[in-house]
Amino acid sequence: MTRKQKRLAVIGSGMGFLALAAALTFYALGQQTSYFYMPSDLLSQPAAAQERIRLGGLVQQGSVERGQGTHVSFVVADGQNGVPVVYDGILPDLFREEQGVVIEGRMGPDGVFVADTVLAKHDETYMPREVADRLKKDGLWQEQ
Amino acid sequence: MLFAGSDGSGKCRIGRQLAPRGKTDIELNMFFWVLAALLTLAAALAVMRPFLRGLTTDVAGREHDLSVYRDQLAELDQEVRRGLVAETEAAEARAEIGRRILRLSQSVDESAEGSVKPGTRLARAVAIAAVLAVPAISWGIYSLIGSPGLPAMPLQARLNEDPAQAPVEDLVARAEAYLADHPEDVRGWQTLAPVYMRLGRYSDAVAAYQRAIDLAGANPEYEAGLGEAMVARSGGIVTAGAEAAFNRALALDEKNARARFFIALARAQEGNGGAARAIWEEMASGLPEQSPWKAAAARAIAGLAQDSAQASASESAPSQDQLAAAQEMTPEARQEMIEGMVASLDAKLRESPADPEGWGRLLRSYVVLGRRDDALGALDRGLSALGPDSPDGKALSELAGTLGLTDTQVNK
Amino acid sequence: MSVELGHFALVLALALALVQALVPLLGARLGSAPLMRMGEPVAITGFALIAFAFAALVLAYVQSDFSVLNVWENSHSAKPLLFKITGTWGNHEGSMLLWVLILAFFGALVAAFGQNLPPTLRANVLAIQGLIASAFLLFILFTSNPFIRLERAPIEGRDLNPILQDIGLAIHPPLLYLGYVGFSISFSFAVAALIDGRLDAAWARWVRPWTLVAWAFLTGGIAMGSYWAYYELGWGGFWFWDPVENASLMPWLAGTALLHSAIVMEKRSALKIWTVLLAILTFSLSLLGTFLVRSGVLTSVHSFATDPTRGVFILAILVFFIGGALALFAVRGASLAPGGLFHPISREGALVFNNLMLTTAAATVLIGTLYPLLIEAISEDKISVGAPFFNLTFVPLFLPLLLAVPFGPLLAWKRGDLPGALQRLQFAFWAAGAAAIASYFLIDRANAAAALGIGLGLWLVFGALTDLAFKSGIGKVGPALALRRLSGLPLSMFGTCFAHAGLGLTVLGIVSVTALQAEKILTMQPGQSTEISGYTLRFVDLRPFTGPNYTEDRAEFALGTTRGASLGELVSSKRLYTARGMPTTEAGIRTMGLSQLYVSIGDRTPAGLVVRIWWKPFVTLIWAGALVMMGGGFISLMDRRLRVGAPARRKAALAADGGGTR
Repeated sequence: MTRKQKRLAVIGSGMGFLALAAALTFYALGQQTSYFYMPSDLLSQPAAAQERIRLGGLVQQGSVERGQGTHVSFVVADGQNGVPVVYDGILPDLFREEQGVVIEGRMGPDGVFVADTVLAKHDETYMPREVADRLKKDGLWQEQ
Repeated sequence: MLFAGSDGSGKCRIGRQLAPRGKTDIELNMFFWVLAALLTLAAALAVMRPFLRGLTTDVAGREHDLSVYRDQLAELDQEVRRGLVAETEAAEARAEIGRRILRLSQSVDESAEGSVKPGTRLARAVAIAAVLAVPAISWGIYSLIGSPGLPAMPLQARLNEDPAQAPVEDLVARAEAYLADHPEDVRGWQTLAPVYMRLGRYSDAVAAYQRAIDLAGANPEYEAGLGEAMVARSGGIVTAGAEAAFNRALALDEKNARARFFIALARAQEGNGGAARAIWEEMASGLPEQSPWKAAAARAIAGLAQDSAQASASESAPSQDQLAAAQEMTPEARQEMIEGMVASLDAKLRESPADPEGWGRLLRSYVVLGRRDDALGALDRGLSALGPDSPDGKALSELAGTLGLTDTQVNK
Repeated sequence: MSVELGHFALVLALALALVQALVPLLGARLGSAPLMRMGEPVAITGFALIAFAFAALVLAYVQSDFSVLNVWENSHSAKPLLFKITGTWGNHEGSMLLWVLILAFFGALVAAFGQNLPPTLRANVLAIQGLIASAFLLFILFTSNPFIRLERAPIEGRDLNPILQDIGLAIHPPLLYLGYVGFSISFSFAVAALIDGRLDAAWARWVRPWTLVAWAFLTGGIAMGSYWAYYELGWGGFWFWDPVENASLMPWLAGTALLHSAIVMEKRSALKIWTVLLAILTFSLSLLGTFLVRSGVLTSVHSFATDPTRGVFILAILVFFIGGALALFAVRGASLAPGGLFHPISREGALVFNNLMLTTAAATVLIGTLYPLLIEAISEDKISVGAPFFNLTFVPLFLPLLLAVPFGPLLAWKRGDLPGALQRLQFAFWAAGAAAIASYFLIDRANAAAALGIGLGLWLVFGALTDLAFKSGIGKVGPALALRRLSGLPLSMFGTCFAHAGLGLTVLGIVSVTALQAEKILTMQPGQSTEISGYTLRFVDLRPFTGPNYTEDRAEFALGTTRGASLGELVSSKRLYTARGMPTTEAGIRTMGLSQLYVSIGDRTPAGLVVRIWWKPFVTLIWAGALVMMGGGFISLMDRRLRVGAPARRKAALAADGGGTR
């Protein structure tokens, strides 16, 4: 190989690597991002079965029920609609009724959301930004 | 006993700080400006320093580069000695460094030499402008955003102030500091709780009564006080927790007037006017003349024809005169009057919104009237008027939390 | 009065920063030495003033001076003294002041110890530092002023966010900022060189120690932040791919790349343009991190309260510095002379590979962090990019880099000998391979991926040691001579070894925790016992406890081995900080060797207390490895070769050479 060919080979393999990285990134963005839903969205345009999504809203007053061991069920509502959620694990310190939460998981076939993560921020004035934005936009802020 | 911790030597130190705005304040102020001027002088000297010390000569840029390349050559020799680099590679590297040195000496004549000259007239002008800019900018901006007259106020010094001159809030703080060190002092908590009530710090009053009960065991007065504080905290509504406290008080002392009065109020708020009337009438007739609860019960009976929400609205929102007037009216007229008063308060706050107390009263009134949307609206307006980050704004948010308008309140 | 003097000192520092930004640049234009040198005393005085302002704020916190709004909002008289002090930077305003303090500190260091730099470069570097300091001082004074006063001081403060009331706050932010802000020096060097139009091997040598300092601190800062989140949040995770964490990881990746490319530039005068670009990008990513955290455009588990006007101000600073530097780069970059040539298989080639991998990895993190913002801006859809995305992109991109690390130091400059390097690495390869196979068969739960991961970590450690062994001739010469040669090796070689081995330790820790940890969630009644990974945990009781500014429910556990030996007690608690009414979970952690048992408690239910227990094998290696990396950075820094003496000290020698120009 001449020096020029060598150089081209190096640049070519570098480019190839970058293309690979870009392809991987876009594939991952397509596959591994989760969309944010409010309960009303979920009823009007259901998420694909087994698609991992984030669900945001307020924990409905009086809906938290503790089951066997660490099982918990509650309802996440946005003022119009509510979605029942089940979760097995330790709830965050700031998880309370009437408080904003974002949960991650999948919608089960029976209409019950199976959560694998429950987020409530470590800040006493916290309202998850997505939830606050949507409630304001829909004029539902005051119905909390 | 309560203030034992703060008696003694601290006092004289504070006398000075507390002296009426006069000589000492002015002295302090002068002192501040003198120090500020000294700082400014030091800064200006720093700006002038290159001229003062005559820092005009410096090693030319080329020397710095050269010394790096010399070092590189020396390192290379050392690595060869250690056997880390083969001699052939070292020779190549040496040639490369040599080329860099050569390139450097070629470029020298064009650039580096010219850069080291003594100050010209223009340079002097720039320097003078820089020196003048320092005080101009700093004093200009500081006078816009600073508060030069305000002394530092360390908490300990404030707590040591002469109690006779201190405002009641500071006295309370002193008591709090004492109780933080002596949390087992029942009398302290017992003294503090009604003070909290008078200051409108209802949540603290609840905590203080609770603490007194935890320490001294059940006691009808404390339990009844706890209940009353809880009622005040929730804006006049007898909550389940408050009612439980009153019931505990009555279990210990069935004659406790305070507890009986509020139990009756709870019945009234539930819509059970008959039960409420029965208790109040018994109180009005049975209690001795000097008891304040006798009159209170009588007034409550007079207003009983109305539903509970209005009763508590009249308790927390309007003035005593208006209240008295309201009790003489028909239910409809009274409802109208209350609504009218709230509306006029609302209108007044629209015109002059800088009234934190007014916003608090409006918020309470709306909540008690069950007009939650209006309460939230008022909260928004109040917050934007007072500024959500201002102390008043924050106090308002807290109040809203206590009233159950927002989620900020912790449910213990 | 001390508060107001501090405030005044801060304003005065702004005036000096403006002078520092403009006068040396003008001086370089006019060719006036005094104007160029004005930056030095001004930078040092400016640092002193900001330090004074900072001390005044700390004093206000210590004395609980609630007439200062910032103190009232973030402190409480009952708070322990340490947290009063650390609370100074546990909030937006105070942390920005710390940021600027560190910026001024680095500027003062350049002024004090930069005598080895050519005058023009020194003047320009200080000017750029002054410009950055001016921008941030303006930001502080007009949008985030910690010295705003209250006419009537409240009697009690609103307390610090309980999550921050921890020793972690004393260590993590200062280290992290030393790293973030330290890269401002590399940035200033790059911009100064572009203004001057001179960029050569010497420049790389001057910029390298500063980059090394920043990198070492950032490494430590990220590790300490990770450990803090691990024990304080009570979730048992060490990395959440949270936007704030990503914001610190991106400058670290770019800074690591910069550190390596500067070596190539110093030794071979190659990769000049790339190195300058990296220096600009690294600090840009630091600024972007500051913007992301401070503006609140991204929500995060860590961020403090946020405010949009501040976001706009920081965005303006960001656009000005990044845009300005890149524009200058576009104009001047092309005129730089190309450097030395090299074969793809060589030390340079390995370092280029390193740079390619690191910057690509940084780019994927950047995309993952900003993509949700972009989508939201164009479609109003709200999406989140979480751990699965980064596991799918960042991890595969990083693996080849890790595999290649041991080769780099063993390859020669210009033209390397790959078979030779392979031969030397034989021992490391077989040792790591044997360990991987052994762990596959000997450890329960270890699957093939876990075994390969353990092998990879050990490969890095052994590979790093191989380099030292080879260079000191262990095995070829007698032990006495080898030892003498080892101790005679330049410190920077030890630094390399430590940094690479530390990386290996971190990989080992991550792999073993991810693949081998055991987890158990259950409800327990007092007296009940449970077993996990050879240990028994008996729930003794739940007792109330009152701290200085909190109350807590303490769950006491008796810990022992399954064979019956007692290991004492373990306490995990749920705290309620009374001033803010905010609950936190305090995890109970017991370190045994390099592994940890981690217990956090949840709610009380009728069935008992919810308890979550993890056995985390070798988890401490994650942070220990990072500290070893940091140590490697400082060992390199002590190398005499990086502390180039000022030519002034050699005046006599130069004069004798006839090379003096005075």
